Amino acid sequence: MTCEEAKSRMADYWGRSLAGEAEAAFSAHLASCESCRSEVSRVGALWQSLDLLPLEEPSGKVRDRFYEMLGAYRQGLASADAPVRRRWWTQPAWQRAAAAALLVAGLGLGYGLRGTSQPPAEVSQLREEVASMRQLVALSLLQQQSASERLKGVSWAYRAEPSDREVLEALVSAVNHDTNVNVRLAAVDALRRFASSPETRRAVVDALPGQTTPLVQVALIDLLVDFKERDAADVLRKLAADGQVNDGVRQQAQWALERLQ
Amino acid sequence: MAGNTGDNAVMAQVSAGQVAQLAVLFERHHRALFRYFVSMNRDREAAEDLVQDVFFRILRYRASYNPARSFTAWMYQIARNAGLDQARKRKAEVVDIDTFADRRAELVSAAPGPEENLSRGQDLVLLQRALERLPEDKREILVLSRFQGMKHEEIAEVLGCEVGTVKVRVYRAIRALEQIYFALEKEKAS
Repeated sequence: MTCEEAKSRMADYWGRSLAGEAEAAFSAHLASCESCRSEVSRVGALWQSLDLLPLEEPSGKVRDRFYEMLGAYRQGLASADAPVRRRWWTQPAWQRAAAAALLVAGLGLGYGLRGTSQPPAEVSQLREEVASMRQLVALSLLQQQSASERLKGVSWAYRAEPSDREVLEALVSAVNHDTNVNVRLAAVDALRRFASSPETRRAVVDALPGQTTPLVQVALIDLLVDFKERDAADVLRKLAADGQVNDGVRQQAQWALERLQ
Repeated sequence: MAGNTGDNAVMAQVSAGQVAQLAVLFERHHRALFRYFVSMNRDREAAEDLVQDVFFRILRYRASYNPARSFTAWMYQIARNAGLDQARKRKAEVVDIDTFADRRAELVSAAPGPEENLSRGQDLVLLQRALERLPEDKREILVLSRFQGMKHEEIAEVLGCEVGTVKVRVYRAIRALEQIYFALEKEKAS
């Protein structure tokens, strides 16, 4: 290998992407060339130092603006997908007549409904948009590779509607499959928000036999006791009798059985 | 765990109409994109606008995404175009090197002082300054390869050149950085 060839490999070497024969040839050249050896070491130190430069963090506005934009785009798509047909009632003359009729009807209706606490349609729509945005943030964060991001996703799940099935499914999936125990524990706690759904109770019962971490097992057992879930008796009985299971978990399962009876 | 779903597969879903999945890609990439723009234009506010612009363009051009290609490379191609478009708009606003330095000084002021930053004999404030003085093309290739963790193959796709060319350009960029760094060090000593 010539010095020229070695220089073209240095970026790979610093980036640790040199392997096999290329790496062997590069190392052999360095062993015999003082000039390249010195350059690799000197410039390599500078390359490493770039890691120490402070990382810029965007402000929270970036996330807010993104979700606003995405929400608006989805809404736009939904409107565009709605069938647009020009019927007789879309003709201007009919529209004017209909507007006048609606005004009269609206005034009458408004008078009739005065004093009731019905929220205006705009407020309901706004609430739906906010709920949809929260769901989106929770679901997106729960799919991230970094455990700290997934934990944030669990926190967002608390802001979702208790009837939100997609968030519920994502939490159950985190309890069953997340590789990080802190995320699994946080997801178990977040399931309390969805206590009113029979699906949640069933999912917690089903999740228990698959868990091997005592902390998560105990958290799930506590949750079943809080839910007063009598259907969990079989699973708890098996757990309490299983010699392979941690002693503390077995005791907790026994205690839960007594509470549920 | 859904976190293992690759970027290309998620983008293919977006492309097929599941636009809500773009949020997954946003959460994965918006910080890195922001840092890329800050490194290139030294303006936090503009960088935030550009991040927004990139994700909007991804939505707009989602149908043109080819799942066989690297999503990261495609996204940075879009990012470069967004950056170029913004630079064209701001063409009238000529920013000289001193203004660059002032803006950058604001950005690094929150960082620890040089005394605390000395590592392996490198002064990080000087290093930051050297990076700013690096010509734009060299700075960009260093940022992509060093800070964005992109493979040489992906950078080649973004820049539209051969992988071998990328390797040589990365080498030349880091050598140029070294020269600027030593020149600044001399200035500081004198």
